[in-house]
Amino acid sequence: MPSAKSLRIWSWLHTWTSLVCTLFMLLLCLTGLPLIFHHEIGHLLGTEAEPVEMPADTPRINLDRVIEIGEQRNPDLTGVFLSQDIDDDRVWYLSMAPTTASQTGFKQVAVDARSGEVLAEPQLESGFMYIVFSLHVDLFAGLPGMLFLGLMGVFLLISLVSGALLYGPFMRKLEFGEVRRERSKRLKWLDLHNVLGIVTLVWFLVVGATGVINAWGDLLVKLWQNNELSEMLAPYQGQPAPASHGSLHAAVESALRYEPEMEVLFVAFPGSSFSSPYHYAVFMHGDQPLTSRMAKPVLVDSVSAQVTDARELPWYLKALQISQPLHFGDYGGRGLQLLWALLDVITIVVLGSGLYLWVAKRRRPASKETLGRSPGTEEVQ
Amino acid sequence: MIKQTGIWFWPLVMAVLSAAGLLSALLADGVWDWVSVLTLGAVSATALYFSLGRSRPRRA
Repeated sequence: MPSAKSLRIWSWLHTWTSLVCTLFMLLLCLTGLPLIFHHEIGHLLGTEAEPVEMPADTPRINLDRVIEIGEQRNPDLTGVFLSQDIDDDRVWYLSMAPTTASQTGFKQVAVDARSGEVLAEPQLESGFMYIVFSLHVDLFAGLPGMLFLGLMGVFLLISLVSGALLYGPFMRKLEFGEVRRERSKRLKWLDLHNVLGIVTLVWFLVVGATGVINAWGDLLVKLWQNNELSEMLAPYQGQPAPASHGSLHAAVESALRYEPEMEVLFVAFPGSSFSSPYHYAVFMHGDQPLTSRMAKPVLVDSVSAQVTDARELPWYLKALQISQPLHFGDYGGRGLQLLWALLDVITIVVLGSGLYLWVAKRRRPASKETLGRSPGTEEVQ
Repeated sequence: MIKQTGIWFWPLVMAVLSAAGLLSALLADGVWDWVSVLTLGAVSATALYFSLGRSRPRRA
């Protein structure tokens, strides 16, 4: 049995780490809800690329043609990234910006990989989903915003662990799932907070922890660029950037010959943030459930179209890539997606009831029916 | 001691079901997607059952 002193510590930790992060966590749960359904919402808003049915073996158009189509749409922009969805090779998404080094001013063109038809021009920097996404990821504050939300996530994790430690002492006289509805509103919400919190604990821990890892994503990529990527580029050190680059299509063909078992996830063009001035960086993925989430960069010389290096990503970027599906809930079909939303709503109830319990305790600190000085000590003393 | 084990029995069941559900669809496809839905569905249903219940659960 934990001592009264350690209970007080857990109780203090649970109260204060929760208070620090709860409002932000409520924001993240509320904005996370539409993000779970971003494809469906895009479909309703008409912003989603909807390729028509064609035989699966319909030949694909040349990738250099995809670039031309993009440049016709946006003559003042240049291609920076080319990507496709993990499970759909019928659409190429060409991201364009004023220069390959630009950080803002992006536009995207979704091109049918078989017909060359422009299917959509997704808005990357405006619209409802952009607002929701920014509130969820960085509060419109870039890297500092991401790291701040990551820190709030750390508070959440401490709050979850300390809350779980308080569960035992609280439940000594109660059965699992027992909710005392008849005595007082506060007691009812305390019991609900406890049962919903303990039932969803592991899911909440995993989504919280993977969210924290995602918040570090940009920094992890920078770390990789400074270490592994610059190692891969060492032979090119001091060379001038080529005046013009060769065919994207030839570069991707080389990468596919080098890794015949893999498919293209995205290509970073020469001079962009995931590549070098000398390369098309072709990020490839496998076709198994786990390897489909793991990108492997294949560096292809932008002039000669020769593969110059290809290495597995380091463990910390693998951890980042594994943490993404576990955060998004997009890896088990429609059923899992709906459960993700349901668990998100239950989480909102846990957060809201926790906040209510704190407010109610402060309002009526001396009431006999409610709790004593600290929530962890009621059932213990 | 027995009481303490009792307190943690169902929370542990929930934890194991959640972990199995989170991992199975991640590591394999097909039927494993359904395993995820069933296990995490059971966890969600448990939460819903206790939130919507009207009074104490019946004692055995």
